[in-house]
Amino acid sequence: MRPFELTAPTTVDDALATPGTFLAGGTTLVDLMKLNVLTPEHVLDINQVPLQGIDTSDGLRFGALERMSAIAAHPQVYPAISRALLLSASQQIRNMASIGGNLLQRTRCSYFRDVATPCNKREPGSGCSALDGANRMHAILGTSDSCVATHASDVAVALVALDARLLLANAEGTREVALRDFYQLPGDTPALENDLRPGELITDVVVPRRDWAANSTYVKVRDRQSYEFALCSAAVALDVRDGVIADARVAAGGVGTVPWHLPAVEDALRGAPATQASFEAAAAVAADGARPLRDNAFKVSLLKRTIVRALLELTEGSSR
Amino acid sequence: MITRLDAPLKVTGEAKYGADHSFTGMVYGYLVLSTIAHGEIEAMDATAAKSAPGVLEVYTPFDSLALRPPSLPVFGETWVPLQDKEVTYYGQPVAFVVAETFEQARDAAALVAVAYRERPALTSLAEGLDTAEVAPPGFDGSPPEIEVLEDGVESIEAALAASPVVVEATYSTATQNHAAMEPHSAVAVWDDGKLTVYSGNQASNMQAAELAIALDLAPDAVHAINPFVGGAFGGKGRTSTPAFLAAAAARALGRPVKAALTREQVFTATAGRAATVQKLALGAEPDGTLIALRHDSWCHTDVARSFVEPTSHGTSREWYATKNLSITQKVVPLNLPPTTFMRAPGEAPGSFALESAIDELAVKLGMDPIELRVRNNSTAPPGHDLQWSSKHLDECFRIGADRFGWAHRPPGTRTDGDWLVGMGVATAVFPALRFPATVGITLRADETAVVATSGADPGTGLLTVLSLVGAESLDIPADRIVPRLGDSTLPPGGMSGGSTATASAGTAIMLAATKAIDELVALAADPGAPFEGAEVTYADGRVFADGRSMTFGELLRAVGRESLEVTGTSAPGEEMTKHSFASWGAQFVEVRVHKWTREARVSRMLGVFDAGRIINDKAARSQLMGGMIWGISAALHEGLEVEANGRFANGDFASYLLPVNADIPEVDVHFVEYPDTLHNAVGARGLGEIGTVGMAAAVANAVHNATGIRVRHIPITIEDLLED
Repeated sequence: MRPFELTAPTTVDDALATPGTFLAGGTTLVDLMKLNVLTPEHVLDINQVPLQGIDTSDGLRFGALERMSAIAAHPQVYPAISRALLLSASQQIRNMASIGGNLLQRTRCSYFRDVATPCNKREPGSGCSALDGANRMHAILGTSDSCVATHASDVAVALVALDARLLLANAEGTREVALRDFYQLPGDTPALENDLRPGELITDVVVPRRDWAANSTYVKVRDRQSYEFALCSAAVALDVRDGVIADARVAAGGVGTVPWHLPAVEDALRGAPATQASFEAAAAVAADGARPLRDNAFKVSLLKRTIVRALLELTEGSSR
Repeated sequence: MITRLDAPLKVTGEAKYGADHSFTGMVYGYLVLSTIAHGEIEAMDATAAKSAPGVLEVYTPFDSLALRPPSLPVFGETWVPLQDKEVTYYGQPVAFVVAETFEQARDAAALVAVAYRERPALTSLAEGLDTAEVAPPGFDGSPPEIEVLEDGVESIEAALAASPVVVEATYSTATQNHAAMEPHSAVAVWDDGKLTVYSGNQASNMQAAELAIALDLAPDAVHAINPFVGGAFGGKGRTSTPAFLAAAAARALGRPVKAALTREQVFTATAGRAATVQKLALGAEPDGTLIALRHDSWCHTDVARSFVEPTSHGTSREWYATKNLSITQKVVPLNLPPTTFMRAPGEAPGSFALESAIDELAVKLGMDPIELRVRNNSTAPPGHDLQWSSKHLDECFRIGADRFGWAHRPPGTRTDGDWLVGMGVATAVFPALRFPATVGITLRADETAVVATSGADPGTGLLTVLSLVGAESLDIPADRIVPRLGDSTLPPGGMSGGSTATASAGTAIMLAATKAIDELVALAADPGAPFEGAEVTYADGRVFADGRSMTFGELLRAVGRESLEVTGTSAPGEEMTKHSFASWGAQFVEVRVHKWTREARVSRMLGVFDAGRIINDKAARSQLMGGMIWGISAALHEGLEVEANGRFANGDFASYLLPVNADIPEVDVHFVEYPDTLHNAVGARGLGEIGTVGMAAAVANAVHNATGIRVRHIPITIEDLLED
């Protein structure tokens, strides 16, 4: 960690008026500062900025500084969201980390985190060590020859599935963007991960009201039972009427360079009977276009299986 | 139930570990590590680092601290840092920055520029098998290749060829790090040409001896203090790089120096467990009787060939009765960090291979794997005349099968919801060893007795054992014993290693206590003493004669002495010519594998152990639980991923996975208690390492039972169990 200047604005306007790097829960920023991956000269602690609150009067609205643990514990929060949060990190980290910061967390690619190795995301143009390196944890979807790192957030997967939107504030005013459009594929600019403009701040996360989102879940598959990132995860929501799927939302984590929305799987589910056969048929298209790497070809199969498992758990309430 | 004496200090944070010590004027050292696996350092530019704020000095191979490589009988030669420009692994210490604060040292370390002349590196065990060398003789002098053949049998191959049922398979295990909670660290202080070092290690007297040689000092010029150790597991036997450099830099700078590795540095700047490849062949009669056992082993080592992970010697050499046995051990030097002792070196990875192969044989024979093991129970190691002193392995299996519900293990697979359920079993064996040990006992006028030896309690419970065995031997309550460990000025003994400390130090305590009591009763009868000329006896902390009695404290006060001090020394002896010695265990594991997503999770585990007399039931259970959890970790989580350039891809706690609480179900531990007084007077054999032995195979065997899939490497991960 390098020496830096710390200030603590107390209003959104103050925060936007000062150039620097925003610090919310600190669970990503401080971690990466210790590793010298991020070396901001000026850190703005925004924890006194009034961006809290959970509003469930029409859909869901979370202040960007609301802690992961508080949202997970709220009874009105759709199950896919609360489960994704509860399966993230540890209770201690969830008590610190903000929902806004969670959506901006950086990849867990070990080359990104090690300044002794080349990484296009950390140091544009230096090369991608993961392409031919240890890439078991890496993405199979949305990759490029510059970057194959996964997006690490669980809750972003659930929010992408449930059509969440972000409210953003900048010096000129505010704007709203769909979370699905917010994240950017790496292409040849993997250092640019999203649509957030310099100095811009997430103020709110909004999930539209949809009664059948109560029929949703999140399944996370990983190498140990807790405190570990996903090899693959799936957020699913189903609107089942008389045994037929009227509508569906499906997104996957651990497999994409961004939280991976799966409209083709949703299309295949719509109008189909809510049966294992339908789920397997729909999941079969989930990995279309996948580019497996040396160590992660298994994710093609695992992705389909994870989606089927999530859909079965949703409809049968079967095994945990 | 006896709680370990140091527990309150540890859980309240009162325990002061090595790096918790601080001194006036102290400065901080930080290591710079290499970023290539093989080559020569052409140049190092420390100009920027030296002019950074607070920096006192930057030591490099070009501007080094003098250190001589020490060599002790137990360890052989220990590497010392910064003495030459050769780089032989990625993450090798190449510079040491000392500054006024930790942060200044760390930030300056990032400014040290290293120019390398890089050479091709060999970093893969699989790719290095062709260059394997025959291993040097083992620590016990045993040759790397051993063959036992029945009369008239020409070769192991002939014995296998003549076997009606044969199983052959190749197994592999990953390289591991000890991952102790306390990173390697040291605080070094010089005073009048004498060095005091505070550093977690497994034997303070050995640390002092290594440092004295390294720094060219008289042995008594180094005082190693080691009051608490945050886990060692074999990884803190040798003196660490921070200890060498802190000591040498403190001398050069005339200031106390504190140095600690970061967690990431621990993965390369220390030493770990070697990766292994093992080829097994078992030949048997249709009734399961073993005819032939061949176990060929390869392990990686560093280019200095610092350690051999003896997988076939640690297992197949002794575990089963077989008329024909062939074991070999080869090493593959790689451009990787040194390897060293790690909890059950040899036995842990060796048992994964042997006990998986035994399970494969049971499957092939259509036989219960417990029945197969019991059928081949040995009364002595193959080719040896000396019978086991005390062996109740069959009873361990019988009790274990009953407690675990082994009889309900149906053929084929069981399910619970969407989970496939399987059970697995394995044998655990660990040799019962002793090392020479000296323990001092001081009876004091205040009615307490100090029981002291230089060794370490890195969580093993030795401190409490000193108190319990001391109390028993002196016939006084344990709360009157003051146990002392972790100081090189104490009598040398109780090194934490080889599961030996209780048997070694315990026996020495008994001898010292006998001596103390002899001297006490003699003192009581001395001219002018309270029992002058009488026939004095001792019991219950008192001397008796002529119908009168006094406590030992009263006697000491009466003769005007503050204390009576003796030492007792024990070492392996005549018993070694009469019997073979080992601890035994039966490991049971139940595993669940998800039908769709194929995660394997352990849902139940039981270990039944025959480790002689159990001195402290609670601590013994904790030791074995910890060992069993280590086995689960090796089976399902743990393993360093070595990249072609020698970098460990997962060298931190974020990606080097260890099980968390959610991975570990309730652990059942049971003892069959048969004190083994043929081995030592205390009757206790070691149990620090046996808990991890066999567990990985029990998991793999349970995975096979659940899924029908045989995985012959560890760790076992999801992709191993996906069928498409």
